Amino acid sequence: MSSIHLLPDHLISQIAAGEVVERPASALKELLENSLDAGADDVSVMLLQGGVKQLRVTDNGGGIAPDELTLALTRHATSKIASLEDLERVASLGFRGEALASIASVSRTSITSRIKRERHAWRISSEGGHLTPNEPAALDVGTVIEVNDLYYNTPARRKFLKTEGTEYGHCEEAFKRIALSRPQAGFMLQHNGRAQWRLAAGEPQKRFGAVLGEEFAEQAFLIDESAAGLRLWGMAAKPAYSKLSRDAQYFYVNGRFIRDKLVAHAVRQAYQDVLHHERHPAFVLFFELDPALVDVNVHPTKTEVRFRDGQAVHRFIFHALHKALAGPAGSQVAAPEPVAQAMPFQPTYPTYQPQIPLRAGEGLDFYRMMFGERPVSSAMITEEMPPQPVQDYPLGFALGQLHGVYVLSQNAQGLVVVDMHAAHERIMYERLKHALESQNIATQPLLLPVSFHADRLEVATAEEQVGVLHNLGFEIAVLSPTTLAVRAVPSMLKDADVVALARAVLSDIREFGGSRALTERRNEMLATMACHAAVRANRTLTITEMNALLRDMESTERSDQCNHGRPTWFQVTMAELDKMFMRGK
Amino acid sequence: MNIKIDRDMLLKPLSAVSSIVERRHTLPILSNLLLEAKQDRVTLTATDLEMQISLSLDGAPGGEVSTTVSARKLLDICRSLPDQAEITMAIQDNRMQIRAGKSRFNLQTLPAADYPLMAKAGGETGLVLQIAQRTLKKLLKQVEYAMAQQDIRYYLNGLLFEVNGNRLNVVGTDGHRLSFTSTELSQSYEKQEMILPRKTVLELIKLLEDSDEMLTIEVGSNQVNFAFSGIRLISKVIDGKFPDYTRVIPVGHQNSLAVDRQTLLLAMQRASILSNEKYRGIRMVLGKDSLRLISSNSEQEEAEEELEVNYNGDPLDIGFNVTYMIDVLNNVDNDVVTFSFADANSSCLVTVPSDSNYKYVVMPMRI
Repeated sequence: MSSIHLLPDHLISQIAAGEVVERPASALKELLENSLDAGADDVSVMLLQGGVKQLRVTDNGGGIAPDELTLALTRHATSKIASLEDLERVASLGFRGEALASIASVSRTSITSRIKRERHAWRISSEGGHLTPNEPAALDVGTVIEVNDLYYNTPARRKFLKTEGTEYGHCEEAFKRIALSRPQAGFMLQHNGRAQWRLAAGEPQKRFGAVLGEEFAEQAFLIDESAAGLRLWGMAAKPAYSKLSRDAQYFYVNGRFIRDKLVAHAVRQAYQDVLHHERHPAFVLFFELDPALVDVNVHPTKTEVRFRDGQAVHRFIFHALHKALAGPAGSQVAAPEPVAQAMPFQPTYPTYQPQIPLRAGEGLDFYRMMFGERPVSSAMITEEMPPQPVQDYPLGFALGQLHGVYVLSQNAQGLVVVDMHAAHERIMYERLKHALESQNIATQPLLLPVSFHADRLEVATAEEQVGVLHNLGFEIAVLSPTTLAVRAVPSMLKDADVVALARAVLSDIREFGGSRALTERRNEMLATMACHAAVRANRTLTITEMNALLRDMESTERSDQCNHGRPTWFQVTMAELDKMFMRGK
Repeated sequence: MNIKIDRDMLLKPLSAVSSIVERRHTLPILSNLLLEAKQDRVTLTATDLEMQISLSLDGAPGGEVSTTVSARKLLDICRSLPDQAEITMAIQDNRMQIRAGKSRFNLQTLPAADYPLMAKAGGETGLVLQIAQRTLKKLLKQVEYAMAQQDIRYYLNGLLFEVNGNRLNVVGTDGHRLSFTSTELSQSYEKQEMILPRKTVLELIKLLEDSDEMLTIEVGSNQVNFAFSGIRLISKVIDGKFPDYTRVIPVGHQNSLAVDRQTLLLAMQRASILSNEKYRGIRMVLGKDSLRLISSNSEQEEAEEELEVNYNGDPLDIGFNVTYMIDVLNNVDNDVVTFSFADANSSCLVTVPSDSNYKYVVMPMRI
């Protein structure tokens, strides 16, 4: 048996590097974070061969003093925190003092840096953790870190690297995450000598659009909610702009990108009602709170965090997003972009084209002969034209019905096409929900309580959260350390699978402090009721009915989407129509 | 190979056996019924693999036939033929030709040997009961509506038949309410239980007649046979443990209220119009000699019914699912119904003065 001995320093660094520097992208993330922590507002990144051959980050930050250069490459050396108190309220991105040392231990690294008061810059190089002394160099204030031949001395790790394209993709993703979080800083990314991204410092909104695409910026709405020291701001896409994968989801806690179960759940729930369950929302959200209330020292890569009061955070994020998503139809219409030509409508006189009252009997008879008796035709003729100008109503006024499925309407921007079943379904659904929410939850005690085998966590939750369960309409008794019995269920769900329901509720309460499982089940039922109650295709509507539907949509929450997350209406602007007909060219 | 039979004679048994044939399934032969003729006697058999009904009728002269043919088509043909038409069935080359007057139908058949007949229970069965058709029908109708429907607790989707001494107890429950009834048997037996599936119960009610003719029940280990007036019904039983119903039936409820069934039923039906359409809550408010029924829905509409009753118990305000109450009021055959309460959180017992064996227990709802 070999004796116990201390490991050499560079070996410890290499072991740590296994966690921190998983691939070039993670090294890039660490270097970018260092630049931002140094106060840089212009950062450029140059990559060669996906960052494996070379990874160079140049910034105009504060720089490193020459006598600290050696220290910078030493493990557990940092300028960011000094004491335990600092650690408890970390405001900088990094704090462990590990990244540079780890990177240096598995690559050929050089740091060139100049601080303001020095006359010239100094450079330090390291090869696998072995330092060469400082030497003078030429540089403006700031730092250049060059990481060459990553993993040259750990072939095992090198084998795990993917193709150049994949590694570059990861680097680009890391770059995008950082770039999104700091709109006030300029960023540049070059790969194999070609510029890939050039992001000028500017407004957050502009940055989001530049990174995630203009389509996202057009389809997203702004959020800014704060309460009790918590603030959530950013942009979230409307449900219609959803994705099949989770890749367009950027959540930052105090400026740090994270992927957190609690946060994901809160966001998911907020979108629950308006998004198809297989699709994922797209968003860039920034969550700010007192650094003391969040523990970022959970994992070396810091993509996980722990909140002191997870339940409050969950509730806040859910409510902020939920509220933002609940706007009625038309309210989220992006401000119409200034179109070059004048708007086709003048707002001062009634912009609605009144129909000519066809009084000639022959004309009517002719139409009757051609189309049979149609209630629509007569209704359209006698219709009184609404006196209000169109722009008071975002969805405008109905023109007629298309194949019994779509309602066509005219608003200030042009043509609005409404899927009448989907829209009516949503209106009914919101009404049913609203009616129920104002009532107490009726409880149905069971004649035959249902007992089931439960694990310790479930039993503990049932014991602790009697009050919460009671408010939800549940009564769960503990029979033995491993058996629970459901004695009462909410009356609305009396025919559901009691055990599955109870399990879902207990696990929700345990994880997130409250349960929306019941609300969700109830809503599913209401959605079915709403679907049956809504007008079906081929039901002929009169103009009055259509206008009533449009007005209802404008005053109903979430009516931009049907209950399954599909859009209920869309706009064809006059500009688009003009383009189709090549007018004004 | 011909059978001659009167249309009117065939129609009723045919529709009786066809009713258990499922409309949609993956096994084509299950949509057929088995038709066997031997020495002037025709036997029709249908099955859904859970239960099987056979019905024999005499007076159909013809040869020996054994085949299967689509139950639905045969029934539709018979039904649409004129009254008193004489039907001739002939089998040739896997096809059945049906002639009546100037009508002619050729139906596809499948071989009788492939028909999945349920074997009759083996000899080890212990229990053979005799009971009048009228009695069994009454018992079933008294409790049938409390059975669960497609509950995941599969043992609730049926009726418990419990023989204990010289009593036969029949119980149905869906976990929210329970109905119990009982009758006396001519002899004593050892204690034995079985759960009869929902579908079998409903079929039996249709097939049983209001006659004093005796019916034989043979209980096997996993199936039960009913034999009565030319009909033989074999059904699987539900394998499971029925909940202990005796613990659920309350005793000693002090506050009791006797009320005219028809009056209360109509009042309940009126009040239910404005109860919440999803959970159907209704409040019964009892005071000295008065009963008020109050309901309200999610649109804040309200209904109130007031009844004059004889009541001397404690004042009480108790909620119920009105469907459960309407069910019992619809199904008991007595003019007066008695409700017994303890308090607003305990179950309510419904009984009828004329039949002390009948009990209905329903849980209140907290509205």
